[in-house]
Amino acid sequence: MVKGAFSIWKRDMLVLRRSLFSELVAVVASPLTFYLAFGFGLRGYIADVEGVPYTVFMAPGLITMTAVSAAFDESAWSMWFHRKVQRTIEAYRVTPITVFDIVIGKIFSGFTQGALKGVAVATVIFLLTGVRFNPAHLAGYLAFIAFGSMVFSCAGTVCGTLLDKPETIGKVQAVVIMPLIFLSGVFFPVSSYPEALRSAVMVVPTTALFEGSRRALLAGSFDVQFLAILAVTALVAFVATVVIFNRKMAE
Amino acid sequence: MTPALALRAVTKQYGTLTAVDSFSLEVARGTIFALLGPNGAGKTTIIRILTTLLRPTAGTALVEGLDVQREGKQVRQLIGVVPQENNLDRYLTCRENLVMQARLHGMRPAETARRIDELLDLVGLTGRQHDFPDTFSGGMQRRLVVARALVHHPKVLFLDEPTTGLDPQSRRAVWEYIESLKDSMTIFLTTHYMDEADSLCDRIVIMDHGRALVDGTAAQLKERMSRAHIYELQFRGGADRYEELLRSLPFIRSLQRTGETFRLCLSGEESLKPLMDAIGTGDIRKICLQEPSLEDVFIELTGREVRE
Ligand SMILES: Nc1ncnc2c1ncn2[C@@H]1O[C@H](COP(=O)(O)OP(=O)(O)OP(=O)(O)O)[C@@H](O)[C@H]1O
Ligand SMILES: [Mg+2]
Repeated sequence: MVKGAFSIWKRDMLVLRRSLFSELVAVVASPLTFYLAFGFGLRGYIADVEGVPYTVFMAPGLITMTAVSAAFDESAWSMWFHRKVQRTIEAYRVTPITVFDIVIGKIFSGFTQGALKGVAVATVIFLLTGVRFNPAHLAGYLAFIAFGSMVFSCAGTVCGTLLDKPETIGKVQAVVIMPLIFLSGVFFPVSSYPEALRSAVMVVPTTALFEGSRRALLAGSFDVQFLAILAVTALVAFVATVVIFNRKMAE
Repeated sequence: MTPALALRAVTKQYGTLTAVDSFSLEVARGTIFALLGPNGAGKTTIIRILTTLLRPTAGTALVEGLDVQREGKQVRQLIGVVPQENNLDRYLTCRENLVMQARLHGMRPAETARRIDELLDLVGLTGRQHDFPDTFSGGMQRRLVVARALVHHPKVLFLDEPTTGLDPQSRRAVWEYIESLKDSMTIFLTTHYMDEADSLCDRIVIMDHGRALVDGTAAQLKERMSRAHIYELQFRGGADRYEELLRSLPFIRSLQRTGETFRLCLSGEESLKPLMDAIGTGDIRKICLQEPSLEDVFIELTGREVRE
């Protein structure tokens, strides 16, 4: 079973390699814009947040955001394209590999793209801005990124599987994905929410992702509860995605 | 001997539409089999069921004795598929498309390279193997899809309108490969080219509305029509006027026109006299009796109206 998934993943990596440079340039543009606009443009207006300069506070969230939205985009568009436009999914389905191979291969392709793009943005932010982190904090941070990319890659795969029209995928991005990312701690800490809302916000998986990853990178604190929420979400998302894809293919 | 393909009372419904209606069929190994029928007859639906892409609403389908629903994976090891619409990967080169297919079939790299060289040569794409398929003409893409279906030496090859959009040279080339393959595999094809079915296939089924209408060799099907009376009729002029007249005659069962020439099928010999009476002899340049073609059989069975 794994072999088929690996073949599909390898195909996606071959294609990615051909356009890697332009992909990376494109993916760095938007987080860097945010970074410059909010971090430097608004520098005089924003005080330190949670004891660190705002540019430092914001950097981990921007990197995480890039990784997970790249995972979502790649998975959603790639699944949609291969299913509706190129119909390569159908070509795969008349070979001995199973639908599980296909969906798992695709989820991991999205995941890999997310991880690569996250690294690219991290490198650029580190190089250009002199924000420095303790390398010992990196392992905990990467654990959050890995689970987060998995969740978003699964969500993207589900969209690409169920939605036939490209504009609907665009709407999901604008109405669900963007607000979910922006409101869960990329630009401000969850402690900004009113008391009444906070406990609700704390169990949202994206809060676990952004708060947890930032705390891991900046303070080196490894928040087990956040990581558990994220890991369980990733697992549930993975199983649900496989089931949904399998159902859709059996239609 | 196990037939290469068997359909037992297979039905496929889309909502209230019955695309395939209790269809039964057995195809012996080593046959070149053609499924013919007008647009929407259910040909592609049957191929999709046999290639494990679509679950039948009722009935069972077997490929080499294996149930397509319960033993789908084993079935897919044995089949090669050329779908009606090309589904090449336009981000992979011609050769990479073939390599991908070999990988998905678990072939070893050494074997893969040799096989792919052989197939590229067969379909005449060796010189273009490192180009992307969207730089190919329609015919070249089609040939690549055929090559891809053959990479893993399938036992049963499904070709859904393999020659649509090909020039006469490419069509002939595709026929030649198909003929050269016939000893090693069973071939199931659909086509709208009657001459193709006639010259290539050992057995033909014509279907419409999800049901089989006739089954036999091309010669047998034409034999059924030999009591039909097909005439070729050519006028010196005024063909439009004559067409209107001919269409109004009740004993003309079908009518095709090319320029000044008509091809018509009478319901019986006794209709010849009323026909001559109706059109007179003044403008007739030529009238002759014709051997029925497979196309006549097809039109006769499936009617004249264009399908929605
Ligand atoms: N996904 C679908 N949903 C609803 N109806 C469908 C679907 N696919 C096919 N049909 C219907 O099933 C019938 C058979 O279609 P099919 O594609 O098998 O025809 P075909 O014989 O291959 O025709 P053609 O010569 O045009 O390729 C048609 O009436 C078609 O409208
Ligand atoms: Mg069809």
